[in-house]
Amino acid sequence: MSLEEKKQAVIEEFSMYDEWLDKYEYLIELGKALEAYPEEQKTEEKLIKGCQSLRADSDAIITKGIISLLISVYSGRTPAEIAADDFGFIDQIGLKENLSPTRANGLVSMIDTIKWVANDTAAKEKMADQVGHDDVVIPGSTGNLSENVLTAEDVAALQPLYADVILALKQVYDPEIPVNIYDLGLIYELNIDKDRKVSIVMTFTAPNCPMADEVMHEVEDSVKRVPGVTGCSIELTFEPVWDRSMLSEEARVDLGLDYEEDDYGKLS
Amino acid sequence: MTVEEIRSQFPALAQQVYGKPLVYLDNAATAQRPLAVLEKERTLASTVNANIHRAVHKLAADATEEYERTREIVADFLNAESPKEIVFTSGTTMSINLVASCFGEAFIGEGDEIIVSVAEHHSNIVPWQLLCQRKKAELKVLEIDEFGGLQVETLQKLISQRTKIIAISHISNVLGLVNPVQEIIRIAHHNGIPVLVDGAQGSIHAKVDVQELDCDFYAFSGHKVYGATGTGVLYGKKKWLEAMPPYMGGGEMIETVRFSGTTFAPVPGKFEAGTQNFNAVPTLQEALRLARQFQEDPEVAQREWAITHYLLEALTADPRIHLFGVPRGTQVKVPLFSFTVEGAHHEDLALILDKMGIAARSGQMCAEPLMDRFGVTGMLRISFAPYNTMEEAEYFVKSLNKAIAMLI
Repeated sequence: MSLEEKKQAVIEEFSMYDEWLDKYEYLIELGKALEAYPEEQKTEEKLIKGCQSLRADSDAIITKGIISLLISVYSGRTPAEIAADDFGFIDQIGLKENLSPTRANGLVSMIDTIKWVANDTAAKEKMADQVGHDDVVIPGSTGNLSENVLTAEDVAALQPLYADVILALKQVYDPEIPVNIYDLGLIYELNIDKDRKVSIVMTFTAPNCPMADEVMHEVEDSVKRVPGVTGCSIELTFEPVWDRSMLSEEARVDLGLDYEEDDYGKLS
Repeated sequence: MTVEEIRSQFPALAQQVYGKPLVYLDNAATAQRPLAVLEKERTLASTVNANIHRAVHKLAADATEEYERTREIVADFLNAESPKEIVFTSGTTMSINLVASCFGEAFIGEGDEIIVSVAEHHSNIVPWQLLCQRKKAELKVLEIDEFGGLQVETLQKLISQRTKIIAISHISNVLGLVNPVQEIIRIAHHNGIPVLVDGAQGSIHAKVDVQELDCDFYAFSGHKVYGATGTGVLYGKKKWLEAMPPYMGGGEMIETVRFSGTTFAPVPGKFEAGTQNFNAVPTLQEALRLARQFQEDPEVAQREWAITHYLLEALTADPRIHLFGVPRGTQVKVPLFSFTVEGAHHEDLALILDKMGIAARSGQMCAEPLMDRFGVTGMLRISFAPYNTMEEAEYFVKSLNKAIAMLI
């Protein structure tokens, strides 16, 4: 069955249920079946791992039902096929609008993760074709190549940790600017390897920042305190040199920079 | 008042959701609004709509009078010594932020300590955390026992020479237990420490007398006591309000403005910068009148007791259900119940109940530290108002059982 045919089949299946409680019964059934999914098969099934790494809702059975539904539609499709899909069929079966707003957001983030994994895998496959290797190394990693290879499953499983590390980075402030170092754009690279060691490449707003050592210590401490992180290494670089364009949207608003630039824009 | 008489005043209750009669059990989040409040807001917007405290024209004078009369009614509702001790805010959150910011500015320095309880709403934790970060002060936590009761006996040990303020909820928005605030205030004052009471839930269920409590600050929201959203109250003893610097700068909070310096309006004007919510605040006149009527009506009290008693029985008799906040001894529980069900996720339950017409709340209830304390990721909460009926409580229990059966 093609992706389109499969989607149509799901839409038809859902249209059979008039009552919402019946739709939920069906989803609960799917969710329970997913729970019983054998461990060994899970590792083969890229999408399951990708979905289950989403922590927030994973205990909720109705969410599992939706995950199961997504798997039945998208498993076995090529990453390129998934990356190109608009996931509009979820709207068509009425799931997105009928789930609670918070849940709908969870659904959206689940789809985002699937797309993210698909995009990532598609991109890696493309790179692998060009280089002529089967496995592709995540940029920025060093050392023994085969050990550092991340599969799509690894990438998805590490997603929540990335979010936590970013949150930790946002707790560290530049001593002279009231914006955290992440939103300032001081973090050039952030990688987490299979052993959950974090490596960061960062810069400072000026090469002779007198507080550099202290801030780097603070970054290290803050990241190491994140549950699950096993280590943290920081590399300092001034290549490229930091400039204002690296500020996040949030930081620009905080610093009132947009206004200034608009003003210049009008003048010139 | 019979429950039918009460219900007829709340138009939102008559609607259906998904073809089922609405059973609104999320009153701790926001209450429905009575006709008198809706009408008041419409009248204000369509007649005396003018900015207050400024112009001399008729509309402005009338609008100002409505606003200031509300201050008197709120003072009366809380039994404050003077309307000057009533500051209008946007809600409980802003009221607490105002105290954390202004009291903190004046009285809290490096190494000082602030005490909150583990059962606080985020709104009574985060403003103090931010203050602690700014001032390098320390936040100390009063713990609860396994039933949800505050361990007041440990308070004295928690207090030190550096403790500058204690912030505690009157009734927890998760546990529904009336906290021994009077006892806490007595201990605090014995040590010369002021107390802020978060009354977001406390202002609803029982009469509040700030003079009898002797609290230094009391904060509550208008929308939880049947008023318009975006209205809130901060009561503060005059001596504190006068000693605190202003919160925001702007119009109307000033006395004279020169570039050489500005002097500020006397309290409470000092804390009300900028255009106030003058169409919404006067709805509190009607809202508080009704809230007081409910609080004094023995029929309402009788029904509330019966519903609380019935649900306490139903939710503690079922071994699959774990109820958080169980009253012991003479402790009072309001009709607010948070619980988990073994083997059924709170969000699944809420989703299914929703389709049965029941508005229940699921999740962390803005009290993550309390969820951590009990080792859960979230709970299901139902909270009742005087317009809820015993039939609704029974329908809820029946529906809950049905939902559990679907999930397990």
